[in-house]
Amino acid sequence: MTLFGQLVRIELMKLWRSRRLIFAVLFGLFALIALGLYGYYVYSSHRASPPPQTPWRTLVQQDLHNDQQQIQNLQRIKEQAPGGNVRVGGPFGGGEGSIDNVIAGLQRAVRNDQYLLDNDIAPVQAVPITLAAIFGLGGIIMFLLTRIFGWLASEEIAGERSNRTIAILLSRPATRSQVLAAKAVASFVLGLAVVLITFVIVYLVLAFAFGAAGPLAGRAAIVLDGNKPFSPDNMIAIPIPIVVLMCLGASMLAVLCVQGMSMLISVVSSRSAVAIGITLAVLFGAPVLSGITGGIIRLISGQPNSADFLKYAFFNVLAPVDGIAGSIGSVGNTTGRGMDEFVRQVATLTVWTVAFYVAAWALFYRREEVS
Amino acid sequence: MPALAERPPLICLVEDGRTTAGRPPAGHEFHSGAMLGSVPPMAIVEVSRLTKNFGRLRALDQVTFAVEEGEVFGFLGPNGAGKTTTIRIMLGLLHPDGGSVKIGGHDCWGEHGRAARLFGATLEQPGLYGYLSGRDNLRLFARMLGRVDEDQITNLLALVGMTERADDKVKRYSMGMRQRLALAQALLSKPRLLVLDEPTNGLDPNGIHGLRLLLRRLATEQELTIFFSSHLLSEVEELCDRVVVLHRGEVRAAGPLSELMNVKGFVYRIDVSDVARALEVINGMEGARAERGTLKDSVMVHAESELGRLINHALVSAGIGVDQLVRTQRGLEDIYIQLTGAPEASPLSDPTGPPAAATA
Repeated sequence: MTLFGQLVRIELMKLWRSRRLIFAVLFGLFALIALGLYGYYVYSSHRASPPPQTPWRTLVQQDLHNDQQQIQNLQRIKEQAPGGNVRVGGPFGGGEGSIDNVIAGLQRAVRNDQYLLDNDIAPVQAVPITLAAIFGLGGIIMFLLTRIFGWLASEEIAGERSNRTIAILLSRPATRSQVLAAKAVASFVLGLAVVLITFVIVYLVLAFAFGAAGPLAGRAAIVLDGNKPFSPDNMIAIPIPIVVLMCLGASMLAVLCVQGMSMLISVVSSRSAVAIGITLAVLFGAPVLSGITGGIIRLISGQPNSADFLKYAFFNVLAPVDGIAGSIGSVGNTTGRGMDEFVRQVATLTVWTVAFYVAAWALFYRREEVS
Repeated sequence: MPALAERPPLICLVEDGRTTAGRPPAGHEFHSGAMLGSVPPMAIVEVSRLTKNFGRLRALDQVTFAVEEGEVFGFLGPNGAGKTTTIRIMLGLLHPDGGSVKIGGHDCWGEHGRAARLFGATLEQPGLYGYLSGRDNLRLFARMLGRVDEDQITNLLALVGMTERADDKVKRYSMGMRQRLALAQALLSKPRLLVLDEPTNGLDPNGIHGLRLLLRRLATEQELTIFFSSHLLSEVEELCDRVVVLHRGEVRAAGPLSELMNVKGFVYRIDVSDVARALEVINGMEGARAERGTLKDSVMVHAESELGRLINHALVSAGIGVDQLVRTQRGLEDIYIQLTGAPEASPLSDPTGPPAAATA
């Protein structure tokens, strides 16, 4: 094995040996949640075995049928109303607005569902594995995991300083670039392992809930332009394995970005407690600050999109997978979500990630280890 | 930094062993045997005009010396003299602002990888992974060198007397045990040069004695070059062949220990009935300088030549009772104090006595 390979192995060993308890707690938590969900399922459905299988086609057909029922109901209401001027609220799938607009929205959803059925394209959240990709690799789970990975990465260099092992590490034949790269690779590999295991657990839970593992091949639909309604012209059909890989890649890019930022903080910190504190403050505090700032900007300007630029601060694009969530089937409102948003967030995240690692390397390369 | 005139003059040993006082002129190169200046051909460590600043503080100022292969080299100086800064530059942890440090001909910063293959090092506070056992620490450090040799690890643990506790977590180790494990770590790469920064910190007297024996053994049996940094003069005196004395970032003296200790004249301890008058009488003599001794009713006299009888006669003639006059072996401590002027600033110095002279 090359020296660099040995360094990566050392870093993995250190991460594992020093943080076994965290990983045990993490997976214990997952197991408890899964057990809790299962318990609730058994309690509410009075059965221990999975429910009957629900193929995505059945789900779309049900959706289509519901939309048709709603159209009929709304048309009856419209006929009975004097002048036909009726406004409709949220419970209707077509959205809010005048009754004509809602009916038009529902008719569009019916056409969309029919298009998906005719072309054998699954809505992305109607298939267990793609839903697991969106839910398990984006949203709250990744939000929490990225914070844990950030914490671990922030200790990489600062922890060596706290242990006073940095002197041994840097006085060995490996170059500083190799040391930093080995730490980055080890952190990433560990992150990838945790994310993959998390994804498999979420998939197994969803497969149980769907009554079957669902299709692992075929195509899934994703909205292209999130600012326009879903339609055959505004969607892309992507093979299901590619959707999963796309979500995995974007999530791991988010992990890499957080680790890069944490590594940068670690490089400039002399103590691991300081590095952890700053990292967690940024990862938890910055989104809150960004939300407040965005709210103030929108309030002052009166424009709903005036604070959109904040979406591209790195801490707001930690899980671009979130950009494609929900943009499926008959759902009418996909504002701000879709493949275009996904691509923009991935691009933004890539720039941030590269910047973090380059800055960390530049600072570490010349940094003097005084004490 | 004190003004130039306030600093004690440098003592430079030249090739024939004579001692001269003064500062080397700018650009001056000393002969190879002197260690100051140009480097002997067999030098494994070459420190040349090394300068390092921390902000406005000049930590090292044109430090130059060399360490020859196979010798036990003492690197002396009070706290803050610049010893650890020099060592950190040698290890590639700091980069110099001027000058260079080479190990085996490789620049410690520019060719760190090559230089690092030649040395093993322990720093003042040994850095180890507390959550790993001593053996696992060594495995991990061995892997940093690209290979793990279990037999070598077992042998090193035995060598430093850590076999019994090898599988305990390091966080349960005493400071002395950590020092011993750090030494084993430094030997993992089978280095040509062993750099030790205050290695006896935390060791009990038995441990210090054991370390001394071990280092001597390593130096003689394995022909290992040992770079031994310490402020404990007794250790250096017993262990080292040659020394450099560093003070306030400058080399104050350098040379073989035997020469350094012999060239400085004679020292007498005299127990007298009246210390104040005795100091007056002796300091009035040419070639002698007296100061209050550390023992009650005693004076210490530094003389350039054998003046014992003359001093005794002068004291008796002045009506001062002389209980005892002993010519003492001039120790490294005397040289060291003379070079660094340490007692002047030391809170341990006698507040009632005169300040110790710091000039040669």
